[in-house]
Amino acid sequence: MNSLIPVGQALLSGILVGGVYGLLSIGFSLAFGVMRIVNFAHGDLVMYGMYVGVAAALFGIDPLYAIPISFVLMALLGAAQYRFVYRRFVGAPTLQQLLAAIGLGLVLQMIAQIVFGADTRSAPSMFAGRFLLLGPLFVSAAQVVAFGVAVAATLIVEALLLGTQWGRTVRAVADDIEAAELVGLRSQWINISAFAFACGLAGIAGTIMVTYYPVDPSKGLTLMPIAIIATTIGGLGSIRGSFLGGIFCGVIQQATALLWNSALQDVPLYVLLLLFIAYRPTGMFGLRTE
Amino acid sequence: METGLSRAALGRSAPVAPATARLLPWFAVLAVAALPLLPFANKYVEAAVVRALIFIALGQAWNVVAGIGGQLSLGHGVFLGLGSYATGILFNLFGISPWLGVWAGALVSLAVALVMGAMTLRMRGIFFALATVAVSLAFDQLAHHYVDLTGGDNGLALRFVGTSLWAAQSRTPAPFVYAGLAFVVLYLWITRLILASRFGLEMRAVRDDEIAAGAAGVRVFRTKLLGFLASAAMTALAGGLYMQFYQAIDPESAFGLGQAIQLQLPALIGGLGTAWGPVVGGALMILLSEATNWGATKAGMVGVDILVYGLVLLLVVLWAPQGIVGMLAPRRRR
Repeated sequence: MNSLIPVGQALLSGILVGGVYGLLSIGFSLAFGVMRIVNFAHGDLVMYGMYVGVAAALFGIDPLYAIPISFVLMALLGAAQYRFVYRRFVGAPTLQQLLAAIGLGLVLQMIAQIVFGADTRSAPSMFAGRFLLLGPLFVSAAQVVAFGVAVAATLIVEALLLGTQWGRTVRAVADDIEAAELVGLRSQWINISAFAFACGLAGIAGTIMVTYYPVDPSKGLTLMPIAIIATTIGGLGSIRGSFLGGIFCGVIQQATALLWNSALQDVPLYVLLLLFIAYRPTGMFGLRTE
Repeated sequence: METGLSRAALGRSAPVAPATARLLPWFAVLAVAALPLLPFANKYVEAAVVRALIFIALGQAWNVVAGIGGQLSLGHGVFLGLGSYATGILFNLFGISPWLGVWAGALVSLAVALVMGAMTLRMRGIFFALATVAVSLAFDQLAHHYVDLTGGDNGLALRFVGTSLWAAQSRTPAPFVYAGLAFVVLYLWITRLILASRFGLEMRAVRDDEIAAGAAGVRVFRTKLLGFLASAAMTALAGGLYMQFYQAIDPESAFGLGQAIQLQLPALIGGLGTAWGPVVGGALMILLSEATNWGATKAGMVGVDILVYGLVLLLVVLWAPQGIVGMLAPRRRR
């Protein structure tokens, strides 16, 4: 029985970390699902979201209260990216689009390094240092709060896409941009709003993450593979698939750290990505093959 | 994956040039070959020229899969790393000459490329690109972890035995000018051969429209896989030269994103899918990097070269997707 405790602990930590992975993946997935844009700079927006939390902490504000600000700032940054870079690539992830995204990511990362410096920063929230006991297992309160925010945000995204007029227009443009324009939808505005929304989600993910995970300018690059893997496993373009994919990634990381080696905790994820691409490229929930 | 370069690139494959223009490249080869003999040549200039030649060769190799084949490999650092690490490890631990060791690196690269390609190239390009990112990150973690073999974070330093042909080492950069030149001329010749061959035509057909190419009888998956294998082997062999010249490799300069971009910039700046693009682009990239490093050292800043690379990548893709050679080549009539 006692030998099950580390397993339960790994599972629990994996799910909690994975929820936030899920939130940072759904923005990436949304941009792909709606516009076929592979935003390799998505991780850098998460990193900027983390710095929003750090900045809030410097002013004595709890990073959790900075979440709406982070959403708005990253949405604006995302709209600018769409307007100046991605607009011309909507519809197909061409070689040029992927390269442009990588260039953009590098520029964002180096600007962060010049502005914030290369040092590692953190921004503890009011829940920092507190732990909850669940029988023999214990979890950090900050992670539980972050998981709660991630689940709430994901549910809100699903509700917005499925239940509002805006969500319906976004899905219409995603399905068939020409037919959508034919019935009078203005696809440029719908796309820019959807892209800004996806980037805003990156901001939220970053700000809740910085409450327990320190940030430096390279964190965007560190987190990007997780978003790619979670999204591919869950299904490119699927919101709930990406969220569950994120949880899956978190659990696999923790299990690898427990059973094999924490320094190699991402290696099984990369293998899993290759296997999914080879045998199930639509992922668990993806609808369309690409 | 559609590249949008198709028509212009096809038009460029057989440029009509007057005799003097055709001879110009060979004067360039002669000029580089004569460099170590010239009075103003010093170690610094020679080393910069070698760096340019190495990145031209690496860029030429990437150009085969990405420029001609249209498959965006973001993980070519894997093959550079395998070529470098294999050459270095075999020499350091077993005393095997790099002349042999580099072929082991090429074989391992072919095996890795075969597995990667077989798993991902049946799908459209986006999955291939994502998979190459994952594979290079996996190798990065492995190289960091298996310290006994790779030297871990500190990297692997080549055991230096002094100037020796057998060990392919030299105290001065001059011999590497010739080695680099040999690579560049050979790879340029291979690229021109591919472009002029049926295989090259099939690769470009797949790049421009997979479905149409398949309908016309091209075996799409096989064509993509062969292009990727050729490119991987070329990269690994040039990785051997990289190891002998730099005498060290570490996970970041093998599998890092910065290196992956450096492998792409020569072809992107010079012109994707053209034989001369990586040559022009590689030379420009090294000039740019020398200037940036000089300026950054003066200003006391670090990491500026990566910022410049990112900006150049963005600017080239957005405003000059055909590259320099593409812009100079005569435009096709519509």
